[in-house]
Amino acid sequence: MHATVSSNAPTTARAEEAARNARDTRNDRLFGGLLKTCALIVLVSLVGAAASTLWLGRDAFATFGWGFLTSSAWDPTNNQYGALVPVMGTVTTALIALIFAVPVSFGIALFLTEIAPNWLRGPVSSAIELLAGIPSIIYGMWGLFIFAPFVATYIKPWLMNNLSADPPDGKISWLVQHVPFIAKFFSSEYPFFGAGVLTAGLVLAIMIIPFISSVMREVFQTVPTRLKESAYALGSSTWEVVWDIVVPYTRTAVIGGIFLGLGRALGETMAVAFVLGNTFKFTPSILETGSSIASTIANQFGEAEGLQKSALMAIAFLLFVVTFIVLTIARLMLRRLASKEGS
Amino acid sequence: MTNMNEVASKPGFGTSAHGSDVDLGQVPAKMTVRDLNFHYGEFHALKSIAMDVPEKKVTAIIGPSGCGKSTLLRIFNRIYAIYPNLRASGEIVLDGENILDPKYSLNRLRSKVGMVFQKPVPFPMTIFENVAYGIRHHEKLNRTDMEGRVEQALRGAALWDEVKDKLKQSALGLSGGQQQRLCIARGIALKPEVLLLDEPTSALDPIATSRIEQLVEELKSQFTIVIVTHNMQQAARCSDMTAFMYMGELIEFDRTEKIFTKPNKKQTEDYITGRFG
Repeated sequence: MHATVSSNAPTTARAEEAARNARDTRNDRLFGGLLKTCALIVLVSLVGAAASTLWLGRDAFATFGWGFLTSSAWDPTNNQYGALVPVMGTVTTALIALIFAVPVSFGIALFLTEIAPNWLRGPVSSAIELLAGIPSIIYGMWGLFIFAPFVATYIKPWLMNNLSADPPDGKISWLVQHVPFIAKFFSSEYPFFGAGVLTAGLVLAIMIIPFISSVMREVFQTVPTRLKESAYALGSSTWEVVWDIVVPYTRTAVIGGIFLGLGRALGETMAVAFVLGNTFKFTPSILETGSSIASTIANQFGEAEGLQKSALMAIAFLLFVVTFIVLTIARLMLRRLASKEGS
Repeated sequence: MTNMNEVASKPGFGTSAHGSDVDLGQVPAKMTVRDLNFHYGEFHALKSIAMDVPEKKVTAIIGPSGCGKSTLLRIFNRIYAIYPNLRASGEIVLDGENILDPKYSLNRLRSKVGMVFQKPVPFPMTIFENVAYGIRHHEKLNRTDMEGRVEQALRGAALWDEVKDKLKQSALGLSGGQQQRLCIARGIALKPEVLLLDEPTSALDPIATSRIEQLVEELKSQFTIVIVTHNMQQAARCSDMTAFMYMGELIEFDRTEKIFTKPNKKQTEDYITGRFG
């Protein structure tokens, strides 16, 4: 009895260990596979969505060829379609949104992480998150009924007085006389109409500020205290610490946050559909009405048939392309910055 | 005086025959702390601290965790002022001026009192820029002068030979010990008069630690050094004066050799013999 136990025990133990090992390996492989599937779902849906818009837009691409990209015609009555106006409207409104949203978000995030007293940080942070939770249709209604009239009464007349070639007050400004082409960006056929590219860009800016500033706030908090203290100990002021230490340290994540906001601005539909005006006249002026890819689809898809429907699908595909190009530019920018730093 | 300096700067001077006769009290005080109290909100962190920090000597501050030794060090360059709700009262006189006076400019204070932190914290820039960065806040130098100053600082921190060929590379690629010496270079590049070291070797391996200790020994001919350490051997090895703190109070402040051989207070003796802390 004694002999059996001593000779069998190690063998059983070893067999158990081997079984346990095999089980662990199998489970790990299963778990790995599961995670891979989750990641694949994203990739498959992305490729699927892009491919199906391309497929459904094939009629438009086949009919108009490369001209689809350069034509500013969008005329359902004569079945003539070109993507230039919606693509330009999408890019311009998103850029205007960034121009206003990035500095403001930067300020909000720095105020909250570096300057605000503790009791103020909580309330302001929650207010910003609330802003992110407001549905875009609310922004659209607010934009149309409250903000657009405000633009028409205060902002637009001022801009036109100072920057257009046809100012309401009749005095052509020094800037317009001396800077070529500037007046083209600030002309308007209907000076008393508030909707337009600039208005849409400003509404978009308000919509993306919460996103950009939350990302910035999070990443500014990751800067090690000791890094900031070291800079203060060398005699830096708060501004110098922020500009020389906090910003370079967080640059990659900050740019990531900005592009998150840009992505949202490019694809935003309802708010833009309300305040952009939905016209298809080609103009460089930001005070004129226009249309974006998403707003065009939202406005026309319900009644579209045949070639028009295909053209809408085609511009949806172009939205993918525009977003892809923007993200690629972001990647390249980051890579150039990294190599400049010598890392 | 000359004789005393010679003796005092020799490593392990405390053990020499006439070591106990050396009166460090005769060394002029670089910084005089008078009735210093410090509050974190409601918490009274430092209680009526008074001490004279001797010029061009190494003063060590030891004591168990939470005794206020780092807090005291962080008042010497008012780095605490970047946080709300911290208050210091009393006075710290540096070259005849009270640095706690709100009118004393922080920029000037920090050019006179440099600080090196517990963990090496190179800035996310090149090695050269790490050193040049601080200088730019206080002086406008042309390129050649700046290069000279950076080299001088790196030599002073015994780092030049290791980095002279990679000044344009990121400082984050250096080893921990090299990074810490870079931080010391960054501090001495401003030509401060006082150098504060807050547990400068606690994140380093023994070899890097001994290089830093050697460096401290070399630097004290130019700077008044205050070092906070939780390593008692380190205090014994590289300081001239030692302050023992406990629960926010300065229990004893004397020559290092006296503190470690025959301290006056029971608490000091208990601490250095390892009976608590």
